[in-house]
Amino acid sequence: MALSKQKARWLMAQKGFLDMLPLNLAVLPWGILCGSLAIQRDFSVLEAILMPLIVFAGSVQLVSIELIANQTSLLTVLFTSFIISSRHFLYGLALRDKLKKLPSKWRYGIGFLLTDELFALSGHRKACVGQLRLIYALVAGGSFYIFWLLWNIVGVVAGSYLPDLTHLGLDFAIAVTFIALVIPSIINLPVLVTVLCAGVLSVLFKLLQFELDLVAAALIAMYGGYLTDRWLQRRADKNGNVVDKNKTKQGIS
Amino acid sequence: MTLLTICLMALITFTTRYLFIHPRLPVRLGAKMAKFLSYSAPAVLTAIWVPIIFVQQGQLNVSWQNPYLIAASLSVLAAAKTKSIYFTMFVGLVSFVLSRYLLAL
Repeated sequence: MALSKQKARWLMAQKGFLDMLPLNLAVLPWGILCGSLAIQRDFSVLEAILMPLIVFAGSVQLVSIELIANQTSLLTVLFTSFIISSRHFLYGLALRDKLKKLPSKWRYGIGFLLTDELFALSGHRKACVGQLRLIYALVAGGSFYIFWLLWNIVGVVAGSYLPDLTHLGLDFAIAVTFIALVIPSIINLPVLVTVLCAGVLSVLFKLLQFELDLVAAALIAMYGGYLTDRWLQRRADKNGNVVDKNKTKQGIS
Repeated sequence: MTLLTICLMALITFTTRYLFIHPRLPVRLGAKMAKFLSYSAPAVLTAIWVPIIFVQQGQLNVSWQNPYLIAASLSVLAAAKTKSIYFTMFVGLVSFVLSRYLLAL
């Protein structure tokens, strides 16, 4: 039986919400940390809430709160935010061909919501293609925005009662979420090579205190995955030719 | 002053997300580039989580006294075995809290 359009939209919205739900829950400690840190570093309530409301980026918030509290120059704060946020260029590029055709309202919306988490759920070949998949992306990304805001507000409200949370190991919640997303996505050799390269290089660059550590490690790892894919392709082409010849022979005999 | 800083930061995060999906930007992606970019999710997400496990206060920590490493190893096993995001998170968080507690004794 064919689904009515409205029912299909509702189901897609539900799926978007449910797929993002574990990530929404996983950022609870991180969001509370960001909210409470802002209050503990003497940000006003308005400033502390504007962070998740318009900046909407966990690592940028966390790092910039410390920088601003330490009276760092505006230029340094902005440059650091840019460096941390620069990985998003890759997400935009990867989804460019699908998103650039959208009406501007959708494009600005999805663009604003394009976090690590939403991008992680946009790996499908046809992600964001067609109204139903757009609804999925909007609900998934939108729910992440609302939960992020909510956890930050909890942190802002509880901030003055909470101890300093920065050394409690709350970043592990982020790590385990990404483990849960990345490991099942390793379905072939090129992805495995990408993940191994990214893991080794990101640790190395971090230890070297290289400013663009994350993006540099990711770019080199992506190239590693790409080369592996090309190598497999070439090998398959060679073998494929042999198989084809055999087939022709069999066909003739 | 902080308000201005926050607004400028918002402009930066939005720009980094939005720039490359803007239609009038003169960027055309070929098949090779698209293939290259298809590895961006595993690459970036891994480059975020692996240093959290192995680098603490700027130092490499690969000992089995490192609760991050214990919990991450179990999480990787759980994710590979079950592919369930909830189960993996459960295994990871429980083993992290337990190993932190036990190592602190």
